[in-house]
Amino acid sequence: MRRRLFLSVLTTLVLALGVVAPVAGQGDVKQVTLLHYFSGELGFDALSQIFNNFKASHPDYIVLTNPVGHEEFKTQILIMLAGDEPPDIFSYWAGARVQFVVDAGRLAPIDDLWESAGLDAVLPPAIVSGATIYNGQHYLVPFGYHYAGMFYNKQVFADAGITELPQTWDQFLEVCEKLKAAGVAPIALGSKNRWPAQFWFDYLLLRTAGPEYRADLMAGRASYTDPQVVRVMELWKELVDKGYFYPDANAYDWTDAGDLVAVGEAGMTLMGTWLTGYWDGTVGLVPGEDYDVFPFPVIDEGVPDAVVGPVDGWVLTAKAKHAEAAKELMAFLLTDTESQAIWAKGQGALAPNINVDTAIYSPVMIKALDIVKAADTFAFNYDLATTPPMAEGGLDMFARFMDDPSGYETYLQDTENVAKEVFGK
Amino acid sequence: MGKSLWLWRIGFLAVPLSVYTVVVVAPLLYSFYYSLTDWNGFSPNYNFVGLDNFQRIFRDPLFSNAIENTVIWMIAAIIIPTGGGLFLALMLHEGVRLANLYKSLFYFPISLSLAVIGQVWIWIYQPRWGLLNVVLREVGLGQYARAWLAKADSALPAVIAAWSWQQIGLAMVIFLAGLTAVPTELTEAAQIDGANRRQSLRYVVIPMLRPASIVVIALAVINSLKSFDVVYVMTKGGPFHSSDTLAMFMYNECFQKYYMGYGSASAVVLFLIALVVVAFYFVWQMRAMETIYE
Repeated sequence: MRRRLFLSVLTTLVLALGVVAPVAGQGDVKQVTLLHYFSGELGFDALSQIFNNFKASHPDYIVLTNPVGHEEFKTQILIMLAGDEPPDIFSYWAGARVQFVVDAGRLAPIDDLWESAGLDAVLPPAIVSGATIYNGQHYLVPFGYHYAGMFYNKQVFADAGITELPQTWDQFLEVCEKLKAAGVAPIALGSKNRWPAQFWFDYLLLRTAGPEYRADLMAGRASYTDPQVVRVMELWKELVDKGYFYPDANAYDWTDAGDLVAVGEAGMTLMGTWLTGYWDGTVGLVPGEDYDVFPFPVIDEGVPDAVVGPVDGWVLTAKAKHAEAAKELMAFLLTDTESQAIWAKGQGALAPNINVDTAIYSPVMIKALDIVKAADTFAFNYDLATTPPMAEGGLDMFARFMDDPSGYETYLQDTENVAKEVFGK
Repeated sequence: MGKSLWLWRIGFLAVPLSVYTVVVVAPLLYSFYYSLTDWNGFSPNYNFVGLDNFQRIFRDPLFSNAIENTVIWMIAAIIIPTGGGLFLALMLHEGVRLANLYKSLFYFPISLSLAVIGQVWIWIYQPRWGLLNVVLREVGLGQYARAWLAKADSALPAVIAAWSWQQIGLAMVIFLAGLTAVPTELTEAAQIDGANRRQSLRYVVIPMLRPASIVVIALAVINSLKSFDVVYVMTKGGPFHSSDTLAMFMYNECFQKYYMGYGSASAVVLFLIALVVVAFYFVWQMRAMETIYE
């Protein structure tokens, strides 16, 4: 009796496992597994639509996708790679983070795909050189990119009597003063998750010390206690001290800051173009009518113009089980202009494919695109420009600074201590 | 028969033991192993660095900060849920009207995950329209309204308060169970001997609750050592590490900075601390049991 029970349990288990197995190997259907962080308001619906289009034009392909929350993704992909069970492709942020995974030997170069699909012909040269090449080889297929600029509420600006957008630092301070006099907080910043504060540091540094010095600082060749960085913190501190920032920045998220500007409690926010996706879609603002964008003002004359933003792309893992099918999908995601358009509209992103018709963009996004085109340099934002452990130290500094800017010299010293540890200085 | 019974015992034990080995023992041993390396989590290659990680950890201000916060958490965990739970249990045991309703209400938070509780308390602490600040302003204490989770001096207490809100219900239930185990003969005898209610509480009921208190305090200490989820949801250890706990520190080093080896070293230290606490608790419990049943 007992033995029979034991046997029946055993057979059930074996049968249960057997049911799972056949799904894995289905004849000549080409399967691609894919992990991405475009969940929820970050473009999940648009991406689903794109995959449906891919399936329609590639009926013999199966795409198994797995969306993960933006923050959880960082842990998830690490575990999958370390466990040698990676997806074929995954979404990742171009810059220091891709470099980190490339250096760890977890990604496969895609130079052959680059040639065969002619990707050089569909991308702006600045994106090719800045975002796709690591250690001399192509690794990343750009999917969408963003530009961080000053998004402002047009009505609030008009009510405060601002007729011209600021182009210089002095004009910018004047605008802030006018907004403050009109009873609104000039600038909203939601630095609860730290990263939204980085654009202030990035632009202040790029507009004073310039892109070359910044690249040195990001690579550990310059010091956080240098006079160039001290000056950035002093300029930033002046804005906080004058009460231009909405109070308690660390209590809010970037969407909260967006809400403050949308309802007119604050004048502007320095944020990436994904804000337009949130404003147009969730909040229901009309681009160009309710809000617009202007570039971060010039501080020092003669410093090369730079724009800041992230590039999202797809990378192929070194141990991909379906590498050829995965490459086909990667090429499709960039070269199919319809998918690129769906993505740009759905996420509030700029399409890296130069053949995408600009008619798909809102007037604000066209302005953003023009600003990017006119710039000399496209720089990744801080947490993508410097290596992850360093980025943690810097992001901590920004949050501390927004809480109490008076201690900036201590914060810089602490950050430099982190840099010494990270870069082995 | 005897032999086949043994086979059955081993067979049944093998299932939980193998699961335990795979999900607990093996990862633990791996942590020990990786704590001696400079592995970054991504790379298949790494170097052995001996005890470097452990030397570094005791110089790391973020680590001592996390230790400090965890100790604060532990002390708060011993005082707040234990005190609050005991108070509620005594009140409800006295036979308040609708006692069962209150019991269910106070126990209700236990059925929620800490992630949900964290999110609800984020709303309570919201600086502009959160319940706490709104109430403070309404009753004329507006000057105390603040951005609770965004300030370094209030973030940790605010998170602990949210966590305690759940833990009090748990402590209450354990104390209630303990109270039903107190024989009424004892309290009656004390009354006949002329003890008033306070005295009978102090000298009869509370000493009889000792086994329950041990369970409550042990749970509080163990839960405080592994406090992570509610911190992750509410502050991610911020602002600037003011609410970091040891588990949060470990997570940041491993998964944000990709110092997998170094993060593993902190896991080992956390394990050793937990081991000391558990050993201490175990000895204490054995002694307590002896005195009770002697």
